[in-house]
Formats: sequence, C-alpha cells, structure tokens
Amino acid sequence: MAGNYTAPVQVLIDELGRLPGIGPKSAQRIAFHLLKVPTEDATRLAFAITDAKARVRFCERCFNVSEGALCPICNDDARDTSKVCVVEESRDIVAIEKTGEFRGRYHVLLGAMSPLEGIGPEQLKIRELIARIEPEGIEEIILCTNPNTEGEVTAMYLARLLKPIGLTVTRIASGLPVGGDLEYADELTLGRALEGRRTVD
Amino acid sequence: MIVEHLELVDFRNYVTGSFDLHSGTTLVIGDNGQGKTNLAEALAFLATLSSFRSAPTEALIRAGSAAAIIRATVRQDDGRETLIEVELATPGRNRVQVNRQKLARVRDLLGAVRVTVFSPDDLILVKGGPGDRRRFMDDTLVALATKYDNVRLEIDRIVRQRNTLLKQAGGRLTDEIEVTLDVWDAKFAEIADQFGYARATLVARLNPMVHEAYEQLAGVPTPLELQYEPAWRSSGLVAALAAARQLDVRRGVSTVGPHRDELSMTINGLPSRTHASQGEQRTLALALRLAGHRLVTERTGGAPVLVLDDVLSELDDHRATALLDHLPAGQVVITTASELPPAAHADHVLRVVAGNVSQD
Ligand SMILES: [Zn+2]
Repeated sequence: MAGNYTAPVQVLIDELGRLPGIGPKSAQRIAFHLLKVPTEDATRLAFAITDAKARVRFCERCFNVSEGALCPICNDDARDTSKVCVVEESRDIVAIEKTGEFRGRYHVLLGAMSPLEGIGPEQLKIRELIARIEPEGIEEIILCTNPNTEGEVTAMYLARLLKPIGLTVTRIASGLPVGGDLEYADELTLGRALEGRRTVD
Repeated sequence: MIVEHLELVDFRNYVTGSFDLHSGTTLVIGDNGQGKTNLAEALAFLATLSSFRSAPTEALIRAGSAAAIIRATVRQDDGRETLIEVELATPGRNRVQVNRQKLARVRDLLGAVRVTVFSPDDLILVKGGPGDRRRFMDDTLVALATKYDNVRLEIDRIVRQRNTLLKQAGGRLTDEIEVTLDVWDAKFAEIADQFGYARATLVARLNPMVHEAYEQLAGVPTPLELQYEPAWRSSGLVAALAAARQLDVRRGVSTVGPHRDELSMTINGLPSRTHASQGEQRTLALALRLAGHRLVTERTGGAPVLVLDDVLSELDDHRATALLDHLPAGQVVITTASELPPAAHADHVLRVVAGNVSQD
C-alpha cells in the first residue's frame, strides 16, 4: 500500500503495524508520539530493542527467554524435575511463577495451534518436549495452554500424544476466564486452577 | 425494561435528535427518507451492536462527522435507571459507557437492552438463504442468553481454522493432517453438539408460537411447521465430520456442521420459500418475529422493546388491523409514513421531518 507520509515516517508506521495487536490506527498514533518525544527517549527505546535482541535468546532446554544457554529456572537445582508445566509463551511462566504454586520446570511451545496463522504441531516445540521426557525423568506434564479455542485444541493434541507414553497428563482446572489468556488471570485464580488440575482422560 | 429517552448525535441524518418514548405505544410518523427508520436502527443497535440493515459502522455516522453517539435512558423492571452511551467511530474503536462507566469490551453491553425489530427486510427470513434463517435462530438465542454470542463467535472461528487447515492439506490426507483434524473436530463437536441442541430446543419452543401468531394475523387456521433437523445431530458431529472427511479434504471446506444448517418452514406442507404467496411469506416473517419476541419475553421475564419499522404499509388492511389488535404487552414503537389505521391507537405521536422531531 502506498503511504501518505514522507518515507521515513511511513517506514516507521509500517514497522509498528507489523507488531501483534497494533492496527494501522495505533501504528500511526505511536509513530507520531515517537516523533514528538525527546531524542534520548527514542534512542533509549531503540537501544532496548536491539540490546534485548542481542543478549536474549531461548533456553536450550525449555525455550523460556534466557541470557545464558539455560534459563534461571532450568539452572535452579531446587526445582522438582519430575513435573513440567507446558505453556504457550514465556510471559505465561511469569504469571505462574507469581502464584508460588508450582516448583517444577517449564516447557514453552512458542505458540498454539492455529492454521490461520500457519501454526501446526510442526511449528511448535513439541518434538523437543517429547525428547525431554526420558533424560529428565518427567512423570507429570501439566498442560497450561490458554483457555481459548487454540489453547484448548493444543492441549487436546498434546494429551493424545503424551498419554500413550505412560506418564501423568493433567490440565489446569477450568474456572479461568474462558477465551482469555493466562497472563490476564489473577494470581489467586491461576493458583487455584493449578492446584485443581485434573488428569486428562 | 423500557427505553424512556433516546438521544442521537451525528447518527445517520440526525445532527441531534431527542426522543421521549413512552411505556405504551409510540407512533413515529415521517415521510420516507426523513429518518424514522434510523430511529429504529439506533434502538436495535443498543440490543445487538449491529445494524439490522446490515450497514457497516461508517454508514451509521453522519457524513462529515468523526463519530456518532446513541444515548439511551433505560428504566429496568425493578425501577432502576440506566444510562447507556454508545460511541460509534471507525470499526474496532466503538466505545460503550453504562452509567458513565466505560465497559471493558463493547460486547459486554449485550443483554442490557432487548429490542425486537420487524422491518420489510425481514421477508428474507422466508425468501432468503439458509444463512438468513440461521441468523434468526442465533440472534434469538443471544437475546435469550448472552453466552450464545460467545458460542457463535467460537464456532465461526473453529470453522475458519478448520477450513484453513483443509486448504493447507492441498487435497492430501496425510497422517499429520489426520491427527491435527482429529483434535479440531473434537473441539468443534464439543461446542457444536451443545449449540445444535440449543437450536433444536429453540425451534421446538417457537413452533407453537409461530403457529399461533400466524393464525392471529391470517385469521384462519393454517397448517404450518418449522423444522430444524440437521442430519449430523443424530450421530453427533464427531461421527459426521469423520464420515465427511474425505470430501472435506477434497473440497477444502467444512461441508458439515452448524454453519451449514437449515431451518425449513412449510405452509400446508409445502416449502414456504418457494411455494407460498408473497402475502403468506410476509405473514410468516412477521409471525417468526412475534414468536421470537414472545419467547424472549416469557423466558427472560421482561418484554423487549418491539419496533415495527414501516411494516403497516406492507400488510393488507385485514392483517395490519390484526397485528395492531394483538400487539403484545410492553413498549412498542411503530414507524410509518402515514397515520395509523382508525382501529389502532397510539399513546404518543412523534413526527420526524429531515432529522428533526416534534411531539403532538
Ligand atoms: Zn529453561
């Protein structure tokens, strides 16, 4: 689409518009906000992006964001290695950690099944999860994908894949706001949902 | 529930419009193109968050304005007063306030105001395609319980996801596609089986009511039946999807499910879409709306606002009089280009000329 603004402004709007949850109107608003703020504020934002991109990668084991090869949770010897909580994104780990209800390890899928976004099981870190079961002695896998259509379908898929392997597969209890994201659930509700998790049949 | 006052700003042709509506029957008189249907449209928007004329949001905003406002004072049955304000801007940026508190989601307004609209366009309930009749069933379900709005959205989403997956398969049913389809089908069925049951229950309850309303309007007993019996419901959707899988993969679309259902209607045993006269079709469309209105009234314990938009001219004298004689209890708004037939009475008359309102 041809832009109406001078080239650098249009490039900025286009780039912002590619971010998740940012429509063309918001992209425009943010772009003009950035043009108004002091140069050092804009530079700080630009630096934060490139710095995070340069220093942060995914944990080799669980795909949580990490500065080293392993994330702090995978590096923590006090963690219960027999339990793994499967989540869609790293930000879900933050939400679950806040509840204080879970002392096991995590596995981040980096998304949920959604053909509309071109995401099938192949695009998720599912093979990597299976590969962890034997060496880490995993006994229980807790499916903590979001309580929306895509999250539920992903949990069903994983349950069907994991049950025949012979470990305990549980799903966080319902009671979370349906259609929502884990990160929006309050700590108490999420804590209760974890505690009340049920074996998937 | 009664809408006591309605105020429009930059809505359609109204710069500002202010309507005192009464608990009984309000008659709104205006020549065509003067804005009386826009009033009906604004009322209905509060109930469904969409235009009953299927107009996009932009079309509701007066040319040259950035936003339109619908402001309504609603008196609940328990006497409480609620101020509802809807600001229509570009799509996705609409805002709703209830008693000056902004709602987190616009759709949270659903259920706060119930409105039944009957308009000449409703002829499509009989003459239109299956999608028009599905929309009638589903709109009625949402008016009965707002949770069906989410159910409907989720079914739409699953169908879109499933169709995309089928297209990605490119006509080949690999093991990976099979396993992935299995879970989408399981999720689809979990929701669709419940929704199919809800639709079937709805139609069973509507049937005698449509029958009665039709008879009152036509003045003669008429054998009439609504049928909602999709084949997939007898086996459950999982089995039906499994049976249709080869076909679905070949065609790249979901050929079975609630998104393909039909509500068939017969008069004297003949399909009303193809075999009924224009007069019978109009009567049936009106009977469907009145039946839906009655069901929602009985099930929710309060009558929705009934809006009859420009329909008197479409009915013959006999049927128009029958309609006015049998108006359900509750608030009624009738818009018309001419005076009411002598048999009818209005508690209150508003005249609309070029977006300006005056009261008799
Ligand atoms: Zn890790």
